[in-house]
Amino acid sequence: MITFSLNGDSVSFKGDPNTPLLWVIRDDFKLKGSKFGCGAGLCGACTMHLDGAAIKTCVLPVAAAANKKVTTIEGLGNPEALHPLQAAWVKHNVPQCGYCQSGQIMAAAALIADKPDASSDDIDQAMSGNICRCGCYPRIKAAIASVAGNSQSYDATAVEATS
Amino acid sequence: MSGQSLSRRHFLKTSGMVGGGIVVAVALPGCAFNGPHPIEVTDAGFIPNAFLQIAPDNKITFYCPSDEMGQGIRTGLATIIGEELDVDPANMLVQAAGSHEDYNNPEFRVQGTGGSNAVRVFYQPLRQVGADTRALLLNAAALDLGIPSEQLLTDDGFIVAGDRRYPYGDFVDTASSLEMPVATSLKAPSNFQYIGADAPRVDALAKATGTASFGIDTDLPGMVYAVVVRPPVAGSKALKFDDSAARIAPGVLDIVAVSSGIAVVAERYWQAYQAAKKITVDWEKRPLSSVTSTQVRQDLSAALEANDDTESSHVGDPEKAFAEADRILETDYYAPFLAHAPMEPLNATLRITENGADLWTGVQFVGAAQGVLERLTGLPRGDIKIHNQFLGGGFGRRATLSHIVEVAEIAMSIDKPVQLLWSREDDLRHGFYRPAAMMKIKAAANNEGRITAWQARRSGANITAQTMKNALPGVLPSLPTGLLNGLVGAMDYVFDNWAVDASSVEGLHETYSLPSYRVSHASVDHGLPTTFWRSVGHSYTSFAVESMMDELAEARQIDPVALRLKNLEDKPRMKNVVAQAGRLMAAMTVPENHHLGFAAHSSFGTDVAQIAQVSVTDGNIRVHKVTCVVDCGLAVNPDIVRAQLEGAVMFALTATLYGQIDLDDGAVVQSNFHNYPILRMNESPAVDVVIINSQTPPTGIGEPGVPPLAPAVANAVYRATGQRLRDLPLKLA
Repeated sequence: MITFSLNGDSVSFKGDPNTPLLWVIRDDFKLKGSKFGCGAGLCGACTMHLDGAAIKTCVLPVAAAANKKVTTIEGLGNPEALHPLQAAWVKHNVPQCGYCQSGQIMAAAALIADKPDASSDDIDQAMSGNICRCGCYPRIKAAIASVAGNSQSYDATAVEATS
Repeated sequence: MSGQSLSRRHFLKTSGMVGGGIVVAVALPGCAFNGPHPIEVTDAGFIPNAFLQIAPDNKITFYCPSDEMGQGIRTGLATIIGEELDVDPANMLVQAAGSHEDYNNPEFRVQGTGGSNAVRVFYQPLRQVGADTRALLLNAAALDLGIPSEQLLTDDGFIVAGDRRYPYGDFVDTASSLEMPVATSLKAPSNFQYIGADAPRVDALAKATGTASFGIDTDLPGMVYAVVVRPPVAGSKALKFDDSAARIAPGVLDIVAVSSGIAVVAERYWQAYQAAKKITVDWEKRPLSSVTSTQVRQDLSAALEANDDTESSHVGDPEKAFAEADRILETDYYAPFLAHAPMEPLNATLRITENGADLWTGVQFVGAAQGVLERLTGLPRGDIKIHNQFLGGGFGRRATLSHIVEVAEIAMSIDKPVQLLWSREDDLRHGFYRPAAMMKIKAAANNEGRITAWQARRSGANITAQTMKNALPGVLPSLPTGLLNGLVGAMDYVFDNWAVDASSVEGLHETYSLPSYRVSHASVDHGLPTTFWRSVGHSYTSFAVESMMDELAEARQIDPVALRLKNLEDKPRMKNVVAQAGRLMAAMTVPENHHLGFAAHSSFGTDVAQIAQVSVTDGNIRVHKVTCVVDCGLAVNPDIVRAQLEGAVMFALTATLYGQIDLDDGAVVQSNFHNYPILRMNESPAVDVVIINSQTPPTGIGEPGVPPLAPAVANAVYRATGQRLRDLPLKLA
């Protein structure tokens, strides 16, 4: 039996210890905010925090989470109490299809916790493991930069023209 | 009340009492209402039509007929209906509509989302629904308050009488007893307060908190999970298979043969996925089984060399004009097969009981999904409910029904609610693909840059017949299988021999005013399934046409933007877009090693020009910034228009730099994001979007940003390196 902390609650899993953490969280603990995208640690849709570090859980055996703290998007914030990044996501109208955004936000939250004043290059580097097929990158970057207090690093304004 | 009589095309129907209100339905022009009302009412409320529900507590719900796959359609259509209803879309609850003819796409005549048409086709009808419903509420308020309706105003869900404000919900009882006014006059665009304004997406909060529900998030009591082992070569059948090791694997409940392969059903997804690897199968050989990507390219070339093409359209006498030209360019351009790779792998959850079937999934073709379940289960259509969830990306991939057919076959054989889930490998190897295309463009321009003759020929597979093979069983659920197969076979025959599938050649001439042109097509289909891929034929034709425009400009030593303007005489909207973009480009200052490339393309009624700012270092192409100028008519939500252009640039840049599905012995080589890479943030350009200010009705925006990007980048790479790259993805020598 594997015991770990899930968003602050102690939980136990009795199944195959090789089961990826993602499927334990989704199918056994029924938290559906973390997504399945590739099953190979290549896209980041499944990103959670393990003791505060962003980690791709579709390839992480649940055994590796034993006695550690797992945080999912549900534990980061909720519609009534948003994490500053979630508020920035809404303000910048970031999501399109939205499927990758839990993973994007979890990767960004780990970055901001580690480097509250992350630079544009820091953001590029930290976020390059998370794919967004809709191509929301300019807005993801602007949202993170606004929380990091360096919004000037990305100019999202567009000029309007008149025919 | 208005007392207007009910017309055949726009009628009111009382179908039952619900709590304190009644249920009535109004059909859109061109749609027929029949059967039970699609909205399942769980609390008291007034439902004046299929799209709106107004509760006594003034909760206003909009049932969105188009599928949200990221394009912002729930926000866009809520804005359109909210404008005339006088409710801020941010204050509405916006939900996916159920499956019902009332929600048919007025152009497709079936419930579905695609072709960048939703805002265009629902713009007028949903405004009318909003205006009529608002007029009804005003009539009800006039009766209840004893004030003539002319003295009442509305504001964001309230009736305003002098300095008093009454929620719409106060009047639903009275409203439910009145006749729905029809053909209420609509607002003048100058009075719009929501349409045309930047506003938050109605789904942003849910998607930023992990609470938005996608098909994959469906979780039913007693639900089991299924994965399917599919043949490496599309369409192969299993000759024999050994599932003995899989059957004793942990959690496995059953293994069943389905028409696409062998399904493994287990208590958990992970168990099904692990067990599926233990199955060994002998697959039959198909004609496709010996095909390689190299051969596809050769066959597409050979078809054009052999003049196997059929004319699609022509104007004037291009052969005569070529004979009179002093300089002719003729070049080949090639684009490979591509996968859609939406982030949410295909999935579907189906529960069949004695009362009917319930499907939870993400599909762009709700009507056909309902029809295919009707055909496969034999249940009456009214007993089949489609609970369409947020789509984790569509791009055309979810316009197909393969996942619906599979889950139906599995659910019918195991008697439990079942969730089918594809892996990423399944998605990339067993999909429907953007067909490969060889394009031969022959063109002559005079020394002023005016094109005098144009010939555009394309070879490759046609998607319409293939897509209809997939969709027809759902669109025509009661058509006997024999007739259906005959219809599909006839369609293949027609496109192979007589007529040209319009989607195969779209974009080869339409952007410009050409005094003489001929467009033709040679069908070459190796049997790999193909379908719509964001911007469809335009995704490759624009690459050929817009590369050729720059080649012509160079041959005549004319500025590429000036040459385009010379050939847009009777295309005023695109001419303006190109002129505006040209002025922006002329004013750009870029670092010494950066180079600019230009391209423009019309698709889905929308005109887009793009300027790519590119550098090439050690053979690596880097796109730093893309500036887009777009005329899509009135921008219902300009911020979403900008987002669609930003996303289209990224989607198209992936295809431009990396996108390639290869075949080896008929099997798709690429399997996951390590060998089918998607652009990442550290490779992504900044995007600027300029929206032409327009009051004309809105046109498409989901797809038109894709086509110009590849040629804009290729044209910039030529300036940077002198290498004219005519194959996608772009690879420097």
